[in-house]
Amino acid sequence: MIQLHAVSKSYQRGDLPVPVLKKISLHIKKGEFVAIMGPSGSGKSTLLNILGCLDAADSGMYKLAGKTIQTANEDELAKIRNRKIGFVFQSFNLIPRIDAEHNVELPMVYAGVPPAIRKKRALAALNILGLADRVSHVPAHLSGGQQQRVAIARAIVNDPEIIIADEPTGALDSQTSHEIMRIFLQLQASGKTIVMVTHEEEIGAYAQRIIRVRDGEIFNVPL
Amino acid sequence: MNAFQSSLIHDVFLQAIASLKENRLRTILSIMGITIGICAVMVVGTVSQGVKKYIYQELDTYGLESLWVYRKWENQDPFRSVREGSGIDNDDLKYIRSCCSSVKNVTPVVFSDENDITMRSKGTYTNVNLEGVGVHYADINNDTITQGRDFRLEDIQRRKAVAIIGTKIRDELFGPHSNPLRKSLRWGNVRLTIIGVLDVKNRDILSQLGTDDYDVNKRVLIPYTLYQQQLGSKDIHTLQAEAVSINETEKALDQLTEYLNRRHSFHYEYVTESMEGWITTAEDLLRNISFVGLIAALISLFVGGMGIMNIMSTSVVERTREIGIRKALGAYRRDILLQFLLESTVVSVIGGVLGMVLGIFVGFGISYLSGYDLGISWFTAALAVLVSIAVGMISGYYPAYRAASLKPVDALRYE
Repeated sequence: MIQLHAVSKSYQRGDLPVPVLKKISLHIKKGEFVAIMGPSGSGKSTLLNILGCLDAADSGMYKLAGKTIQTANEDELAKIRNRKIGFVFQSFNLIPRIDAEHNVELPMVYAGVPPAIRKKRALAALNILGLADRVSHVPAHLSGGQQQRVAIARAIVNDPEIIIADEPTGALDSQTSHEIMRIFLQLQASGKTIVMVTHEEEIGAYAQRIIRVRDGEIFNVPL
Repeated sequence: MNAFQSSLIHDVFLQAIASLKENRLRTILSIMGITIGICAVMVVGTVSQGVKKYIYQELDTYGLESLWVYRKWENQDPFRSVREGSGIDNDDLKYIRSCCSSVKNVTPVVFSDENDITMRSKGTYTNVNLEGVGVHYADINNDTITQGRDFRLEDIQRRKAVAIIGTKIRDELFGPHSNPLRKSLRWGNVRLTIIGVLDVKNRDILSQLGTDDYDVNKRVLIPYTLYQQQLGSKDIHTLQAEAVSINETEKALDQLTEYLNRRHSFHYEYVTESMEGWITTAEDLLRNISFVGLIAALISLFVGGMGIMNIMSTSVVERTREIGIRKALGAYRRDILLQFLLESTVVSVIGGVLGMVLGIFVGFGISYLSGYDLGISWFTAALAVLVSIAVGMISGYYPAYRAASLKPVDALRYE
């Protein structure tokens, strides 16, 4: 599903390029639940952004669901993010002024789904996540756990193959964090590939496999 | 319209209204420029179109096909004293009809150099504009006789002491709405009998523009033959004629001057005037007024456009994270561009519509204060809306382009 070969990335700080990822190679199979862990500044977020097609690598090869990403243009990347990937962020990243239902409809808006079908699918997704009675609430009127469940509904509504989660429990209390992780396990059971960045061992333990990153390199790949 | 566009427009309207609410003062200040600009466009349009309507109405009181021929005034013609007379006489009248094919009707106009001619009825005196005319005078000048009758050929031929008077003369000598017919009017030793009253004419705008300083409603018309008898001369001071059509005006003027030059062996120089010329003058004047107004309107529209660019730029910065979210969810570059362009257009059109409404009120105010019913220029209103759409798109383009060019990873990281 995901193939990374010798991917490097550096940022310019003043005149000096600071390497963030050093020739990372990695393979994630379809239906896997993988956690990327490492201290802050290790490059794990950059790695996740590249995997999610939000950022481009400087060099190396990246293949996602059979598509070569490093040569794709801006619009092609947008289409891949729209159809193949669902995002879950630490700070939920819901649009504040629109209600839960319309937030969930957004990926379908950009996919060109007709309004009636959008509404049906958005309500169904919210229902699965136990938010049937919260559809017309704006994010500010929802708890953190509810907001993250809206974000998950939004992430799965276009039926993507991969879920990219960046510290999905970082802003939640531990009880809610475990609820969210149980949802992730259900998603994995339904066939989704999940790649999650976290720094909490307890949360990382939900994954099948942990990829540890330090100083821009993968140093331990436990099976 | 596809699913995306209809949803986008809904979304954009919500966002535009939301940002109007969130930043009420800033938005109001910014759209005020557009409002004032569009208001100015409306006022300029309404006034110039309204004034144009009035000028045409007033010009029509001369007859749009009218033309005038007279000898050059003394100060323009150094040979004036060499030969006496007006250069036009009664014999000319007989031949003009047969030689000038583009002339439909012609009337002699005889007047005196005296400025103040006073007439009297019983004990009341009044100043009049006395003109000696022929039978076609009323026809050529688009004058209507509201009381009594027009001149007949026999009035002219027999030099009858009859007069047709303007409404002001009637009002001053006999009282408003009175019947002056068959009453008499003293002009020196001559006792004129009133046979008709001319309908009231309005030349307020033209007299304000300085094209005409005499009061058309204070005319007293008498047979030109009678006037010539009193003056002791067969001179005709002005030939007023009507061309077959407005397009033949120039031709009619050429035919008349050519005829007069030949008949008087080029002893005189003639001046010609036509309504067509006056219309051109009036239109030039209006164009100048409109131009000044439009420059002012353009400046405020430019300032308004800058205001919109300012709020849209701020809006893009404030919503960087939202742009990042939308891009992460699969928005194309053009989706973001369209969203922000539409938003700035919505804001601008709100300003434009406010300006249009304001402009209509100001137009009514000017109509009320000036006493002229200017009406509303719907053409200008439509133009105003189109202009505000254009201003919104142009001034929104740069901020929208910046929003669309944001990298998703940078936009998402923005706090």
